[in-house]
Amino acid sequence: MSIRRNLVSLIAGALPIMAALFLWYAVCALKLAPASLLPSPVTVFTRLIALAGDTNFLTQAGITLFRLFVGFAIAVVLGVSIGILAAGSRAVATLMQPVVRVLAPVPKIALYPAFVLVLGFDHSSKIALVVADALFPILLATYQGAAAVEPKLVWSARAAGASPAKCLFTIVLTAALPSILTGARIGLIIACIVVFLAEMITSTDGLGQMLVRAARNFQTVDMFEPIITITLLGLLLNAAFNVLSARLLVGFAEQP
Amino acid sequence: MARVNAIPGLSALIACVALLLIWDGLSRAFAVSGLPPPWGPLRELPNLLTEPETLVNILASLRRMAIGFVVAIAFAVPIGLMMGRSRAVAAFFNPLFMVIYPVPKAALMPLIMLWIGIGDMAKVLVIFLGVSLPVVYHSFQGARSVEEKMLWSAAAMGLSASQRLRRIVLPAALPEIMVGCRTGVVLALITMVTSEMIARQSGVGNIFFTALDMGQYDTVYAMIIIIGALGFFCDVGFEAVRRVLVAWAEPSHQIAVGSA
Amino acid sequence: MNGGTVLPLVGRPDRIQRVATNLIEIAAVSKVYDTSQRGRHVALSEISFDVAEGQFVSILGPSGCGKSTLLYIVGGFVDATSGSVRVSGAPVTGPGPDRGPVFQEFALFPWKTVLGNVMYGPLQQGLSRTQAATRARELLGLVHLTKYESFYPKELSGGMKQRVALARTLAYQPKILLMDEPFGALDALTRKHLQNELLEIWERDRKTVMFVTHSVEEAVFLSDRIFVMTNSPGRIRKVFDVALPRPRVRAELLVDRRYQEMVVAIEKLMDEQEPELS
Repeated sequence: MSIRRNLVSLIAGALPIMAALFLWYAVCALKLAPASLLPSPVTVFTRLIALAGDTNFLTQAGITLFRLFVGFAIAVVLGVSIGILAAGSRAVATLMQPVVRVLAPVPKIALYPAFVLVLGFDHSSKIALVVADALFPILLATYQGAAAVEPKLVWSARAAGASPAKCLFTIVLTAALPSILTGARIGLIIACIVVFLAEMITSTDGLGQMLVRAARNFQTVDMFEPIITITLLGLLLNAAFNVLSARLLVGFAEQP
Repeated sequence: MARVNAIPGLSALIACVALLLIWDGLSRAFAVSGLPPPWGPLRELPNLLTEPETLVNILASLRRMAIGFVVAIAFAVPIGLMMGRSRAVAAFFNPLFMVIYPVPKAALMPLIMLWIGIGDMAKVLVIFLGVSLPVVYHSFQGARSVEEKMLWSAAAMGLSASQRLRRIVLPAALPEIMVGCRTGVVLALITMVTSEMIARQSGVGNIFFTALDMGQYDTVYAMIIIIGALGFFCDVGFEAVRRVLVAWAEPSHQIAVGSA
Repeated sequence: MNGGTVLPLVGRPDRIQRVATNLIEIAAVSKVYDTSQRGRHVALSEISFDVAEGQFVSILGPSGCGKSTLLYIVGGFVDATSGSVRVSGAPVTGPGPDRGPVFQEFALFPWKTVLGNVMYGPLQQGLSRTQAATRARELLGLVHLTKYESFYPKELSGGMKQRVALARTLAYQPKILLMDEPFGALDALTRKHLQNELLEIWERDRKTVMFVTHSVEEAVFLSDRIFVMTNSPGRIRKVFDVALPRPRVRAELLVDRRYQEMVVAIEKLMDEQEPELS
């Protein structure tokens, strides 16, 4: 019963994606749009497969991935530690809250020119932007998750002899893990998107720069490849993160 | 938290002053021409905001942002609500939206410009794309968590399916929808700035790079302050609207989701 | 506070000698909450009583009378607004492994298995993993959960979760058990089973127990003394000494007049409170 329902919803979910691909194909096959504006999906995906063996393309993708992971890792470390400290100390929370209230809704991309001015056009300015963008969802999720931890869980550990600091970094941190991972997953996708945009704006190297260069040269097919690649990367990272979460969250109730 | 917010805006004001002081300290520490102390850009603000060309640019950007936002809400809320109340609709749309989720929307700008030109339409379309998904998601979550027995009661009172969607599901999901809208309005701004920075045709994003290319660092930083303030006030304004509209709901603490 | 109602019951001379020292001394404890909307709320007002070592005392009262707050203050989880609590003569300044809590919400660590939960306390006390595991398994045997040691809490029923919580607390060998409506979230049948098991375990080493409940039968069935509290402000209204013989067997107690009379007396007292509330 449940297997059949899953199968039905799988087919239902595949429908719109297949329909979109088919529409794209039909428009090209019927020559409703010139190939210079909309290349056929067959051309686009054949080229993508060819690029998978292209050294330059892989190097550019590697550069993008490097910035993404470094930025994301810094954001996780900063966000989780500040969030946990704020949940554990009223003083830190009082300091943090107004600053986060002001900074969280600021479009971080607007800071990018400043990062470029201070840190230059290379890795560090792009990594800084990734950190700025991915930090807040992780920080807020950690703080909210840690603040919502059942106090009796902490009391039980305190009564058993654990010190307040130890409770904070073992009990509270672990109990807030579902929320932290939700925030980190959001931060990961944001990092993925933002690193690409930063590369487009300064267009020095990386996948984003490939898109801009293709656009300047009106190579429409090559404009699709970086977008599809970064989207696939996002989907893959998201899936990998879900697998990791499921492993880490054994014992916790199912997430909605 | 409650104590700090006793005087509205005071904590935010203190935070702003603190941030300016940190900025000042950083500029002294780095001592590079690319990071001037904040006082120059602050003095530049009035000049920038009274200059007609800048003002026209900013207003044009805001207009596009508003159109993209409103169209996205009109499109995303009904879809989200239907997804929340019908398993079939959710099964149909969910994978599609999941695939679209990690696409950098502002990165579509060059392609869209290629197809429909460099006019307002392209920019509005990108903003629309950027805002839609989180609003769909929150409306979906809101509609999905409507208490089933409330709907049974409504059905027992003789409300038809479409009446139930409008008169029960919509108000019950409104708090969550408003969270989506609040995220959406900030996202509209982010997408707007990003797409303009990529396209470099006109608008706020363009002012940035003109100033950057001409080495007018004070103007660059003044623009950062303006965009930052826009983001903050969009968020605060929407939070106020949310509180009035759904005063009956539990206060929600939501993670602002999304990026351009 | 020894001037409470003493029903003419049979005491046990050997026990009276043993209860000479006061393990817990509660002196004029008050707890006031400052809520911005509703002003000051006095949860506890000038509570004073002592608990002798080895005694099983219950704190009985309507919901919201501050009985759990009092327990949390003894546990050191919540600070009193005024007054003091001493345990073994030393003032309480925070939680400590001499006072082990058992909560209505179980408060098990969801990411640890049953064994991992019970091992937590011994590990905190510096035992090696093997030593801790040995002690944890002993206690799981005591609460009849040996077969479930590798389960996660979410896979257990409410009654089993509370058994694990009890084992987890007993594992670090506290002098005092602080039980906060421990069976309140369980169905009636499981509740009775666990009451019996708790008494069995208690009979082995007669730890001092402070037991918070709103069930009169539960309090009379388990306790040596019962403190009945009133609602807002929380005060001790009356103290009952329960001199029913131990070990207690429910079927015998139910037909015992002394048990019945005490239940009725306390029920009457609590009924009288109702009009004041509303």
